[in-house]
Amino acid sequence: MIFTWQLFAQTVIAGVSIGVLYALMALGITFIYSIVRMINWAMGEFYMIGSYLQYLLVVYLFGPGLWYVALPLSALAVFLIGTVIEPILIKPMFGAAIERKDDYATVVTIALLLLLRNLATGLAGPYQRTPGSNLPTIMLGPLPQSGARFAAFVCGLAAIALFYLLLKKTWFGMALRAAAQSRLGVQTAGVDVLRLDQAAFGIGVALAGIAGALLAPVFFVFPTDGIVTTVKGFEIIVIGGLGSIPGALVGGILLGLVESLGAAFISSPYQNVYGFLLVLLILVIRPSGLFGERARLA
Amino acid sequence: MPARLTGHAGALRDAAFALPVVLLLAAMPLVTGAYLLHVLTITLYYVILAASWNLLAGYTGQFSLAQQSFAAVGAYGSGLLIKYFAFPLWASIPCGVVAAALLGWLLGRMVLRMHTIYLAIATWAFAETIHIVLTAAYQITRGELGLSVPALYSNVRPEAYYYTFLGLASASLLLMHLLIRSPLGYFMRAIRDDELRAESMGIDTTRVKVMVFTLSSAFAGLAGAFYAHYTIVLSPQMADFGEMAKLIIMVVVGGLGSFMGPLIGAPPVQIAMTYLARYGEWDMVIFALIVIVLMRTTIGGIVPLAGRAWSRLRPRRGTA
Repeated sequence: MIFTWQLFAQTVIAGVSIGVLYALMALGITFIYSIVRMINWAMGEFYMIGSYLQYLLVVYLFGPGLWYVALPLSALAVFLIGTVIEPILIKPMFGAAIERKDDYATVVTIALLLLLRNLATGLAGPYQRTPGSNLPTIMLGPLPQSGARFAAFVCGLAAIALFYLLLKKTWFGMALRAAAQSRLGVQTAGVDVLRLDQAAFGIGVALAGIAGALLAPVFFVFPTDGIVTTVKGFEIIVIGGLGSIPGALVGGILLGLVESLGAAFISSPYQNVYGFLLVLLILVIRPSGLFGERARLA
Repeated sequence: MPARLTGHAGALRDAAFALPVVLLLAAMPLVTGAYLLHVLTITLYYVILAASWNLLAGYTGQFSLAQQSFAAVGAYGSGLLIKYFAFPLWASIPCGVVAAALLGWLLGRMVLRMHTIYLAIATWAFAETIHIVLTAAYQITRGELGLSVPALYSNVRPEAYYYTFLGLASASLLLMHLLIRSPLGYFMRAIRDDELRAESMGIDTTRVKVMVFTLSSAFAGLAGAFYAHYTIVLSPQMADFGEMAKLIIMVVVGGLGSFMGPLIGAPPVQIAMTYLARYGEWDMVIFALIVIVLMRTTIGGIVPLAGRAWSRLRPRRGTA
């Protein structure tokens, strides 16, 4: 592999832009965890639903020119699916006296993963599809960037910014942050914490859905297309720690950089392994993760 | 010390309970056809895997999600040694087990300092990485094309394999049982119940966890290596997260942290999945729906139910 500065710059841009989408995934996982106190193992399946919805809307309704109309619709649909699923599967966790809530949540979301993944295979077949994109190649200085990738990057950043504003600037966001600190606390303040769970689950899976919809024209759309991005999301959480928005963003960009540099300059079939090596490296040099000691005790 | 209380009488009662079960299973080939015997052989593989995961998740409280990867490491370890270095079977299988144990030790040393949720996430990332490597390194592992490995026996009689796996499962479960009753077993449960307290009582918790993780990986590697030479063709599918999902469902359905859990949970799950397989990809949809409905309707029901039955069988042990 010949090293050139142009290739290096190109790779760095690719790494940063994909890293933002990984961060979106990590935010969804960490957000659901901090409110509902459970890991949603079916996160990648909501990514998959997002990518299929985007594909369907673009191919059968709007055409690739109106992808930005399809995007919020896909996200909204994933949000609604999440808010429908939560009361059926997750809410009972807090009702009856369950001895081990974690076990229940794990089994139910893993069953949900199997259900959605195989439902997608049954309905759509194992084929790899693509909605296509007619976005022109964008020139950043002398460097050409794929239009769809660049759009995914910009929209991903916008989604994170919106999410941040929602959390920090609205009453609803304040209730969510309070619930993350103490579920009992918000209940005594008169907030219906179970409704909050429902909304939080919906928003969390919608973040995954947005990532899926944005990456639909970049990668292919198929029943297990969410796995790779979800692995990245989980790796970011190990790197950065749960519950921090800047942590997820920094972790995401770092991971994106490491894997695209590794793919460009070492060997590309192992692209998805470099992230895990980064995780191991961080575990060895800083067992408590990049963002503080306390977070590890979650 | 409860260890003393259950002493010989406990061991005798366990033997009295286990012996008829093993004899009953040993008599199965007399009444079943070849296909059912094959299903049972595969089920025994899952019993070992599920029980090895139960040591970790059920008894030590370490919710690892990489058990299937260690089975795959045992299988591929043995298969690759035969393919590239012409190892004989009797040497390659132990090497596969050692490889799984070694990798378990290494991973354990790195991730076991973390707490529950992080541990699950880190081991999950490890498992997916193994899956990706097995697929991506197709020049070596042949990836999705499948790696051909020699069979354990030259004849194809299903009974021979069935008895091999029955022996393997019995021996593994016996060893696990001894482990649980050993001082290490008490440390394991102390860590599960309250890690901070266990540590303050002078237990080197990280060391105990790493030991259990290594042993559990070795059991998984053993099951995987034998499985490899039974199925003859290896594919990265073995390291798929779906396999882990299956193990978790088996153990939780049977009862997490009870010795009988994996034994009770594995057969119905495996047999249900085998017979649902005729519906193509819809089999897993049906299976997942069954699991969800079961979890929803018997919420907090199956596990304590199994627990109550268990405490009736073992009235003197409150801790298991």
